[in-house]
Amino acid sequence: MTEGGYVGVTASSMIMTNKKLKEELESTFKDIQVIVPEDTRLNITAREEDALTILKFLKDRGFNFLTLISCVDWIKENEFELVYIITSYLQKNDEYTQREKLQIILKTRISRTIPESKTVTPIFSNAEVYERELHELFGIKFEGNQRLIPLFLEREYKIPPFRKDFDTREYVKEVFDKIPFV
Amino acid sequence: MDRRDIKKWFKEPAKMGHKYSLWVIYFCTGCGIIEIPPVITSRWDAERFGVIPVATPRQANLFLITGYVSVKTLKAIIRTYEQMPEPKYTVGFGSCPINGGMYWDSYNTIKHLDKYIPVDGWIAGCMPRPEAIFIAVTHLWTMIDKGMADGYLKYREKYKYYRKNQEMALGKLEWSPLYPRENQK
Repeated sequence: MTEGGYVGVTASSMIMTNKKLKEELESTFKDIQVIVPEDTRLNITAREEDALTILKFLKDRGFNFLTLISCVDWIKENEFELVYIITSYLQKNDEYTQREKLQIILKTRISRTIPESKTVTPIFSNAEVYERELHELFGIKFEGNQRLIPLFLEREYKIPPFRKDFDTREYVKEVFDKIPFV
Repeated sequence: MDRRDIKKWFKEPAKMGHKYSLWVIYFCTGCGIIEIPPVITSRWDAERFGVIPVATPRQANLFLITGYVSVKTLKAIIRTYEQMPEPKYTVGFGSCPINGGMYWDSYNTIKHLDKYIPVDGWIAGCMPRPEAIFIAVTHLWTMIDKGMADGYLKYREKYKYYRKNQEMALGKLEWSPLYPRENQK
């Protein structure tokens, strides 16, 4: 068994790293739920205030790449769920270490009536574009992000179009169907 | 070349030239572009029909719009179309430019392309096979022969209305009208 090599990583050793990270997270943060659904996954559910410190904590452990920020609209519960997916870049070209196989999903919930969250750009600078996207499509404000300008959309919308209460059919009837044929 | 066409060649050489050398600007808007590489390469070999891809709209006379058209791409489509020299022909490829296709209630996809630029023919399907492009090309030949592929003339004639529709969809346009005199009428 080679140390840190791809061949050397067995399922049992993966679970060990997951469990170790889980214990570390649970001991340092309160109100945090850590689930290990697979050997290569780690799902963290935390409060919105803790998100920044957890991300910093994970970055210090070597998970230095933010894959994406996504959002889920839970309209019945009147909440948005922000999903941060964090992985680690390969340190060597063709060898995985145990850390580099692990994908971490961090979920936080924010209020839907006041959709505001703190920016994570100080920790992961590539978050800027994802935050712009969420600002445009869900109308979430990220405090501290200086560049929340339009990204994809050309037209203006009353409700941000990716929210569940945005009626696309109604919008199409109002806008595109009203344009006459030549 | 067909021997029976010789009369036509002497009568209208320019038209026959346009007809048998349709140089295409492929507008790679959506998933339809996946059908184009097999069409222009050796498997289906579009050059048999005189169809070759070109780099810029200034060299092209056939405009193939492959796939859904979002509001942002519509702007680029109009600019590309207006840069092409006449005579120019437009073919919509796939069901999305025809009536929106699966994006019929999308917040950002325009539904009918022919409200904004004139379209001479449609290839229906999601996705159409590469053979459908050749059927469209041969069909376009007969249309050019009969003088039915007159989308560019229609654009000039009814530019006022097209421009109005474009402004309804895109807001204020950044470029000046292509036919300012016709627009004043």
